[in-house]
Amino acid sequence: MATMAHPDARRPNLPSADVQLPGVRDYEQVDNEITATLRPTGGWFLGLGVAVLCMLIGAAAWTYQIYWGLGQAGYAPPVMWGVYIITFVFWVGIGHAGTLISAILYLFRAGFRTTIYRCAEAMTVFAVMTAGLFPIIHIGRPWKFFWLIPYPNWRLIWPQFKSPLVWDVFAISTYLTVSTTFLYIGLIPDLAVLRDRETNPVRKRILAFLSLGWRNSEREWRHFARAYLFLAAFSTPLVLSVHSVVSLDFASGIVPGWHATIFPPYFVAGAIFSGIAMVFTIIIPLRKWWRLEHYVTLNHLDAAAKMCLFTSGVAGLAYLTEFFIAWYSGNPYEQQYFWNRVFGQWWWSAWILLICNMVLPLSLFSQRLRRNPTWLWILSLFINLGMWYERFVIVVPSLSHEFEPWQWTHYMPSWVDMAFLLGSFGWFFMWFLLFAKQLPLMALAEIKEIIPPKMHAFGGVGHHLAAEARPAAAKGGHH
Amino acid sequence: MAGILAAYRELDSTVHAIEELKRQNFRDIDVYTPVPRHELEHAVHPPQSPVRRYTLVGGLLGATFGYWVSIWTSDYWPLVVGGKAIASWIPYTIIGFEMMVLVGALATVAGMFINSRIPKLSMTVGYDPRFSHGDFGIFVRCAPDRAAAAEQVLRQHNPVEVRGAR
Repeated sequence: MATMAHPDARRPNLPSADVQLPGVRDYEQVDNEITATLRPTGGWFLGLGVAVLCMLIGAAAWTYQIYWGLGQAGYAPPVMWGVYIITFVFWVGIGHAGTLISAILYLFRAGFRTTIYRCAEAMTVFAVMTAGLFPIIHIGRPWKFFWLIPYPNWRLIWPQFKSPLVWDVFAISTYLTVSTTFLYIGLIPDLAVLRDRETNPVRKRILAFLSLGWRNSEREWRHFARAYLFLAAFSTPLVLSVHSVVSLDFASGIVPGWHATIFPPYFVAGAIFSGIAMVFTIIIPLRKWWRLEHYVTLNHLDAAAKMCLFTSGVAGLAYLTEFFIAWYSGNPYEQQYFWNRVFGQWWWSAWILLICNMVLPLSLFSQRLRRNPTWLWILSLFINLGMWYERFVIVVPSLSHEFEPWQWTHYMPSWVDMAFLLGSFGWFFMWFLLFAKQLPLMALAEIKEIIPPKMHAFGGVGHHLAAEARPAAAKGGHH
Repeated sequence: MAGILAAYRELDSTVHAIEELKRQNFRDIDVYTPVPRHELEHAVHPPQSPVRRYTLVGGLLGATFGYWVSIWTSDYWPLVVGGKAIASWIPYTIIGFEMMVLVGALATVAGMFINSRIPKLSMTVGYDPRFSHGDFGIFVRCAPDRAAAAEQVLRQHNPVEVRGAR
């Protein structure tokens, strides 16, 4: 057999469980480098300013719509779901990958999760907060939003628990609560680190309050580990259930293109896919700006890109299955609708979706491209675009092309719709940027867990540094 | 209660110090660590965390409430629509499931808080800020007549610092 280099040297295609951080030496380095990201910079203020401006544009559009009424949105009956519901589903989908990366990959002990999960969890919470705005905007009279909450009216009639819209309220509010709890519980040990490093007395008191007096005792860690495990175990089926429930908003209707049993797994795969793309969109510039490439290494990106490729494949299979079932069903409405989707009135949107979500991600079969952050970032933008269009293709072509030809119509979003879309990105990134300068976007405690601890037996360093410590110890350089 | 506090930079030194303290019958020990480590858990040998019971009870209560509220409200105004059942357990499973997750998760957090004894309003005797940074710590609560023995054990295992704390 020919002599071979170490397999990692030529093909660093590590099993995801083995992704490590060779560039990080000890706990002190983790604290120093990651807390350094909390110092505001000019670029951060600029980004925050742009986000707030976008949000204000959305807020102005909302004020305008409240004054003039819901007719300012581009609804064209029977297309009474438009950009608001499309963007709602889009943001719920983005919010999926956070809990997926956090909970499911935690249960599976996937090593590449450690440095990206906090960013993904924060993304989840802010994405669901963004998504939650849209049903309120869409109802037209936002001051009546509490009618969604299940309590009886004055005639003691309760909400209809057989309605998918009520399931949605339960699913989304449970998801937001559990995701926020999961994020906060994971943050407690890191808040204690910030508390202990803080010199400003006011900030120190705030951090002491938020860290709940956490003191890193073995007792606290023991209960923390169990609670975190069970929260992950609860969150895993919750992730799958939330987007399944969102999909039932569509699948329970008899509209052509919606009434399909494939919708729950189709939506879940698409949501995870879009969420991972958004993680790439955010984490790739951050690792570069913060010079934290030795935390989010190419191995991390490679492993996450494989997950992206897999979920793209599942979503692609779902798209093709929809076409197959439309043909196989023998139902002329379904067949006509799907023909119209790709070759009719809305052909351009369907092809944007297919190219961005099915064709371009195939590039991730190439290891070279999986390990190319620039390509991953560009691809993530295409996937975000494609996933917004996936929801556009589901909502608009179906409603504008129902059973009766006289009902067929066109739909064009108004400037109010587009201002809301822009405003939603502003709202999301405003919260995200504020979070990024107050709390660490990489989990200090969990990163420290994968760094070998200092050992007296290895000359006072971790076993990964033992080889370089020994010569120093031999010279009497170490205690 | 007063005691002796030691800070260590190395994990194995901390483990050896804990084992030696236990051999010498010092039972009231707090161990501090910047990260959870199995080595420390094995040395301390604590009982299993009861958080799982809170999770189970919370999950069962939540699921029961979810089914109950949807069935009860349907029966409260029994209006037959389209010949369908008044209470239909299949869609109500969604409500039951979501409530199971919600109440179960919140009960888990409550279990963690109660058993970890947080939130704490004041810092505990024996805590040092470096334990959240990179060092390991051992705080031994003992009567004054045994303090010297505890300090001797702690000093045998390469501590960064050993001091009395109250």
